[in-house]
Amino acid sequence: MPKVGTYRANSVIYFQGDQGDRIFVLQSGRVSLNYNDIETGKLIREIIQTGEFFGVKSALGRYPREENAVVLADANVLAFTVPEFEAFSMSNTRIIIKMLKVFSNQLRHIHKQVENLMENPTAVNAEMGLFKTGEYYLRNRMYSQARYVLSRYLTYYPAGKMAELSGRYLEMAETALAKYGDGKGPAPLAGSRAPSPMQGAPDFDANEGGPSSSSAPRLAKVSEGASLSDVAKEYYDAVSLFSQEKYQDAAKKFKAIVENGDESEYVGKAQFDLGRCLFALSQWDLAIKHFTGIVQSAPKHPDMADILFIMGQSWEKKGDKAKAKAFFSKVLSMPGDEDSSARIKAKKAFNALGGA
Amino acid sequence: MADLAAFTRFARTYQPGEIIFSEFEPGDSFYLIQAGRVRITKIVGDIEKNIDILSAPEIFGEMAILEGAPRSATAIALETVKVLEFNRANFEILMMGNPQIALRLLKVFTKRIYDQKRRFMILTLEDPQAKIADVFLMLDETQGSVNQSELDGDKREFKVTVDDVAHWAGMNTAEVQTLLGHFANQRRVELYQDRIVVKNINDFIRFVNSKRKK
Repeated sequence: MPKVGTYRANSVIYFQGDQGDRIFVLQSGRVSLNYNDIETGKLIREIIQTGEFFGVKSALGRYPREENAVVLADANVLAFTVPEFEAFSMSNTRIIIKMLKVFSNQLRHIHKQVENLMENPTAVNAEMGLFKTGEYYLRNRMYSQARYVLSRYLTYYPAGKMAELSGRYLEMAETALAKYGDGKGPAPLAGSRAPSPMQGAPDFDANEGGPSSSSAPRLAKVSEGASLSDVAKEYYDAVSLFSQEKYQDAAKKFKAIVENGDESEYVGKAQFDLGRCLFALSQWDLAIKHFTGIVQSAPKHPDMADILFIMGQSWEKKGDKAKAKAFFSKVLSMPGDEDSSARIKAKKAFNALGGA
Repeated sequence: MADLAAFTRFARTYQPGEIIFSEFEPGDSFYLIQAGRVRITKIVGDIEKNIDILSAPEIFGEMAILEGAPRSATAIALETVKVLEFNRANFEILMMGNPQIALRLLKVFTKRIYDQKRRFMILTLEDPQAKIADVFLMLDETQGSVNQSELDGDKREFKVTVDDVAHWAGMNTAEVQTLLGHFANQRRVELYQDRIVVKNINDFIRFVNSKRKK
């Protein structure tokens, strides 16, 4: 049975850092939970209402108390052990649901705070991550897994950077699955494990061992991917290297595409990505020089906001805060989408340097 | 377990090897395992790493309550798996009739909130070495004193790799490797293939506290 405890004003029910296995309900009196906000360090006093539970998370999660529970006016407090609370909750589902809602909001909030700190321009974003996962499964002959992930990619990012290549890979996975089965067959991609007697990537034909009719609508899309031009292939191979953090190799390939300079669409993309490689390789001076070239030769480059942002970051890495700020504020003064990732990142970086 | 017969419309079956969701995929559902085992994996570098193997009546994918957040790992059916699939809109219906599940989810959330807060504390440290040291303090707090008898005073052993530490510290693996090397040279840690030993956890506590802004 839960026990009633009586606490005098100015006493403390528990201290921050205590290990505690009790969950409390305030019956009468006044109790405040005092703690420092993790973001601002400001002291927060949260007044507990009569009938409200406190100390729930640390007791259920078995971690140290996160606040001081201070009695402001003489209080009666009901204390449950965890098993008592569990028994109580079985017949009081509404209370648990209410707590679930509070906790899921708290989780969302703190998750957002963490995300804000994790922003990193060279980090793999979700789109590239999903593609990379599908590629991994294909490379390792896990065709049905590859098929799942790549078709998810095409569902979420039908016009994505890797959509063409995903279509091509998806078709390879389906063909190999039908022809050989999971885990079998020749290496579908360069770098596949356990080299097979056949060398190199076999040429998959869309008509060979065709996929089931249910995937017919997808096929239309896929065959577009299958007719990728050579330069597109080169480009996506380079992007794939970039996503594997093989920046040196990626840079070489991007450079070759830029120097060949036949299809302007890929040349522009490759130029931008070459700069990202230089940045990822900590070649700040080269990155700045390279991007300056783009800004001069292609002032309407579709990735201009990102270009300026990375230039700002390069200056920041070099220790020139004034130049870095100038570039970040250029990004902010560009017309267009207020919520573009480059703008958000630039704003943060600008403020981190002390703002205006 | 409580009577879940009323929830057949949420029931899903997956065949061995079938992916339930993939890392990086946006997700809006979470799952309660009814039968079979589920493998949770992540592709790190060029290796598919097992994070966990779950079975009934565990819950997974619960971070789907975060709008638009991509999945942080892949869930694959290890054998024929039966699950109940829920989302933010309908989970209340399930929870109302099943306080055990609600309580289980509540515990999962308390753990996740703590993990995230703790992570935030690590990320707000400026000194990269302090971040790494703080990862070990976090691990020490959460894994508790399971092997107390084997512990030699302030020594702690963690079943983690450099990649794991890098993940928690929000740093790249190469940098963490270098900095752990410094710690090893100072004889503050010992590095092994599958584990890392912290020689004096209190030394790390003092170090982190000295670097944390008040």
